[in-house]
Amino acid sequence: MPVLPMPPLMQNAVEPMQVDAPPNEDNENNEEQQIVVENPTIDLEVYANQYTGIARLDRLIYVADVCPVLAVEALKMAITYVQSTYNVKVYQMLHKRLSDLQAASGAAGAAAVGGDQAAAAAAAAAAAAALPDIAAQPAAVAAQANASSAGGEKDAFAYDAVWVDAKLKKAALKLEKLDSDLKNYKSNSIKESIRRGHDDLADHYLSCGDLTNALKCYSRARDYCTSGKHVVNMCLNVIKVSIYLKNWAHVMSYISKAESTPDYSEGSKEANAQVHTRLECAAGLAELQQKKYKVAAKHFLAANFDHCDFPEMISTSNVAVYGGLCALATFDRQELKRLVIASTSFKLFLELEPQLRDIIFKFYESKYASCLTLLDEIRDNLLIDMYIAPHVSLLYTKIRNRALIQYFSPYMSADMHKMATAFNSTVGDLENEVMQLILDGQIQARIDSHNKILYAKEADQRNSTFERALLMGKQYQRHTRMLILRAAMLKNHIHVKSVSRESGSNHGAELCVSAGSSTTAQLARI
Amino acid sequence: MGSALENYVNQVRTLSAAGSYRELADELPESLSLLVRNWSILDNVLETLDMQQHTLGVLYVLLGKLHSAATANPEPMQIIELMREFVQRSNLDQLRYAVCPFYETCHLFTDFLVQHNLSILGIKVLSLAIDQIRQMETQLTPIHADLCQLSLKAKNFNLILPYLDTDITDISTVAAECKNQQQQQPQHTLDANNDAKYFLLYYYYGGMIYTAIKNYERALYFFEVCITTPAMAMSHIMLEAYKKFLMVSLIVEGKIAYIPKNTQVIGRFMKPLASHYHDLVNVYGNSSSEELRIIILKYSEAFTRDNNMGLAKQVATSLYKRNIQRLTKTFLTLSLSDVASRVQLPSAAEAERYILNMIKSGEIFASINQKDGMVLFKDDPEQYNLPDMFLNVQTNITQVLDLVKQINKMEEEIILNPMYVKKSLGSQDDDLASQHPKTYSGDPTD
Repeated sequence: MPVLPMPPLMQNAVEPMQVDAPPNEDNENNEEQQIVVENPTIDLEVYANQYTGIARLDRLIYVADVCPVLAVEALKMAITYVQSTYNVKVYQMLHKRLSDLQAASGAAGAAAVGGDQAAAAAAAAAAAAALPDIAAQPAAVAAQANASSAGGEKDAFAYDAVWVDAKLKKAALKLEKLDSDLKNYKSNSIKESIRRGHDDLADHYLSCGDLTNALKCYSRARDYCTSGKHVVNMCLNVIKVSIYLKNWAHVMSYISKAESTPDYSEGSKEANAQVHTRLECAAGLAELQQKKYKVAAKHFLAANFDHCDFPEMISTSNVAVYGGLCALATFDRQELKRLVIASTSFKLFLELEPQLRDIIFKFYESKYASCLTLLDEIRDNLLIDMYIAPHVSLLYTKIRNRALIQYFSPYMSADMHKMATAFNSTVGDLENEVMQLILDGQIQARIDSHNKILYAKEADQRNSTFERALLMGKQYQRHTRMLILRAAMLKNHIHVKSVSRESGSNHGAELCVSAGSSTTAQLARI
Repeated sequence: MGSALENYVNQVRTLSAAGSYRELADELPESLSLLVRNWSILDNVLETLDMQQHTLGVLYVLLGKLHSAATANPEPMQIIELMREFVQRSNLDQLRYAVCPFYETCHLFTDFLVQHNLSILGIKVLSLAIDQIRQMETQLTPIHADLCQLSLKAKNFNLILPYLDTDITDISTVAAECKNQQQQQPQHTLDANNDAKYFLLYYYYGGMIYTAIKNYERALYFFEVCITTPAMAMSHIMLEAYKKFLMVSLIVEGKIAYIPKNTQVIGRFMKPLASHYHDLVNVYGNSSSEELRIIILKYSEAFTRDNNMGLAKQVATSLYKRNIQRLTKTFLTLSLSDVASRVQLPSAAEAERYILNMIKSGEIFASINQKDGMVLFKDDPEQYNLPDMFLNVQTNITQVLDLVKQINKMEEEIILNPMYVKKSLGSQDDDLASQHPKTYSGDPTD
C-alpha cells in the first residue's frame, strides 16, 4: 500500500492554519487511533457537494487521511475547490500531499510489486473515473512510473506558482481595503457599519483559511450589535468558526448565548426556525464530540428538515446519520418509537438515508441479525466522516449491547444457539459478550455453559438487603474503631517527626533496622 | 566499688522501708551507670534485695544486667528466669513509679532474646508484663510491640492474638509517663519518636501476624492504622507497612482500599518509593493472571528484597480465586477445562483443585461433577432465616451500640473538660467583644 497519513502530516491536515491555536480541550480526535478505511462505497463527488467552504475542505482532507483508496481523488477535488478561495496555505499543503502520494505510488509502480501496483492503479483509476475533466488522462498512465506520467499530471494539477502569487497579492489587497474601510467606519462611529466591517473582514479571513483571526473579528462585532438579530447572527458566525476549530466548549457557550437573546424567541417564525435548527445541529455536533450521545441524539432529533440548509456546517444526511445512530445507541424501546420512528420531522431526514432507516426499523422489529449486518455494511462509509468516525466503534458496541439486552429481556431462559444465530456470531463469542454484560450488571442472568442456555436470575431483595446491612454494620464498626484509636493517638501525641541527622542518627538507623531486618525474615514464609 | 554497691542496697532498703518510692524512683537512675560498671557482682546485690519489697531496686539491677549483656554475656536461661520471677512477684504499686525503666527493661529483654534466638521463651513473660503494667484492658503499651516481635520470631501466635483482637482505646507512652511523674530521665527523653516507633511497630507487626494467619481484613486494618498515623516525615516502618497494605488490599478487595485523606505522606514520599507495588495494583486491575505472573516475575528481585515474595504469591492466588468468583456470578455450569482457560490456569486439574479449596472454605458455592468434568455453580444458600444468622445480626447490633456508647462517653469527657469549656466560651466572648456575630457559629471543637 502506498504509505499515507503520517501522524505529523495528519495533525497539519486537521488544523492547517493553526500555529498558535488556543489549547483545545476537545482534541481527542487527534489522539484517536489511526483509522484506515479499505473500501468505502460512497460517491466522493456527491459527498463533497453536500458541503461548502472550509467544511468541504476539512472533510476531503479527512477522507484523504483515512482512506488510501480515495486519497488521490479527494486531494484533487480539494485542490480544485480551494482554487476558488484565497486559501493559499491549504493549496500548498494539498499539493505537497499530492506530490508525496504520487511519488510513493510511482515508486511502488516502478518496483513492480504486484499488490502495490494494483492498489495504486486502482486509486488512479478511481480518480480518473470520478473526475470527468481529467478523464482524458488514461488511468494506466497514473499508475506507471512517475517519469512518464509527470507530463500528463502537470496539465491539470501541477503546482501553480503564478496562481499562488496572484492570490496572495489579491488577498493582501483585499485585506488592506477592508481594514481601511473598517477604520473609516470607526472614525465615523456608525455602529452598524462597524459591525458589517468586522463581519466582512472575518469573512475574508475565513476565505484565507485564517480561522483564529476570523474568530477574533466575528467576536469583535459583538460590541456593535444593536438588535437581537445581530447578536444571534454574531453567535452563529462564532459557532461556525468554533466548529472548524473543533472548540466544542466554545460552541456550546455561544449556543446558550444565542438562545438567551431576547429577540430570538420573539422573531418571525420562518427566520426563527432556521436559526433554531442550526443551533440544534451545532449543539448535537458538540455533544456528540463530547461523547454525550443521548443529549446529542435529542438535539439532532429537534432539527427541522425544511430549514436544515447550512452546507458550511453539516448536511441533512449527516443529521440523519448522527441523530439516528446516537438514538439507536442510547434510547430505550419506547423512546425510539416515540421520538424517532413516530417523529414526522425526523422521518424526512431518514428518507435521505434509507439504509439507516432500515437499520432503525429492523432494530425496532427485533430483527437484530439483519440490523447488525446492515450496520456493518455502512461502517466504512461512516468511518470516512470526520465527525462520527472516532465514535463509530463505541456507538456500535452500545447498539449491540442494547440489542442483546433487549433480546433477552422477555425471557426466563434462552437458547444460546438461537441467540447466536440472531446476532450473527458464534456461541463462544456470544458467551463472552454476555458474560461481560452480566459482570457489568446490564443483564441479570447466568449462563449454563453445559447446555448453552442463558437463565434469567431473580434477585432476592430480602437476601441482598440483609447482605448490605451486615456489610454496612461491619464498615461502621471498622470506621468507628479507627476513629477511637485515632482519638487516642492524638491525645497521646503519637506523631512521626523528622529527626535531625546529628541528634537522632542512631534512632533513624534503629527505625530502619527494626523495620527491615529483625522481623521481616518471617514474611517470606507467610 | 563494693562500698558503692552497698550504698545502693542501703539506699533502696531505707527508702523502700520508709515507703518514699517516689524519691527512690527519682534517685535510682543516677546509679544505673554504677550498676552497669559492676555487672560481675550484680547477682550478689540481687540476693540482698527482695522482689516484693524492693521492686524498684531489683528493676534497676535487671536493667543494669541487660545493659551489660553484651559485655557480660550472661547465661540466657538465668536472665529469662529472673525476668519471669520479676514480672510475677514484683510489687505493682512500686512499679508504677518506674514505668519508663520497666518498658526499657522489656525492650532490652526482647532484643536479648532475639539475639539468642530464644524468642519463644519470652512470650509468656512479656504477656505477663503487659497484664501487670497496663491500666486497663484496652490500653496499648510499648511492650505490645515487643510481644508481637517475639511472637513473629517464634511463629507462635496463640498468646498474642487476644491482645491484637482487643481494640485499643488508650495508649501508654513514655513521654506521658515521664510527664506524669515529673521525672527528668535523660536516657528516656532522648527522642520522642520512640513512642511513635513502638506504636507503628505494634501495628506493623500486628498486621504481619494477621497476614500470617490469613485474617487479611484485620491485617488491612492494622496496616491502615500504621500508614495513617500522623506524620511529618516518613518512617520506614510506614513505608514497609504501605507496601504490605497495597498487597493485602489486593487480596481483600481486589483494588487499593480507600485511604483516608489525612495522609499527605503517602502521596509525597511513599508512592514514588513503592512504584513496583503500584504497577502490581494496576496489572491486577486487568484481571489477567498471566500478566500478573509476568509482572511478579519481573519484580521478583525487589519483592524478595522487601521480603514480600510470599505475599506476592498470595496476591497471584487471590486473583485466580477472584476470577473464579466472577465466573460463579455469570455461569450456572461450566466445564473444568473452560474454567481453566477463562482464569488462565494451566490445567483442568489445577482448576479443580482451586474450586475444591474454595468450596471447602466457603468462598463459593458449587459442586463438581467428575463424570463429565462440569462445575455446577450455585447461589449462596444463606436465606437469612436461621437462628444462627439472627444471633449474628444481634451481636453485630450490640457491638455497634457499644461503640456508639463509647463515642458518646468520649464526647462527654471532652465537653466536661474545663479547658475545652473555657476555650469554647472564651471564643464566644471574643466574638461578642469584637462584634462579629457571624463567626459565633464557628466550630467549637477547634
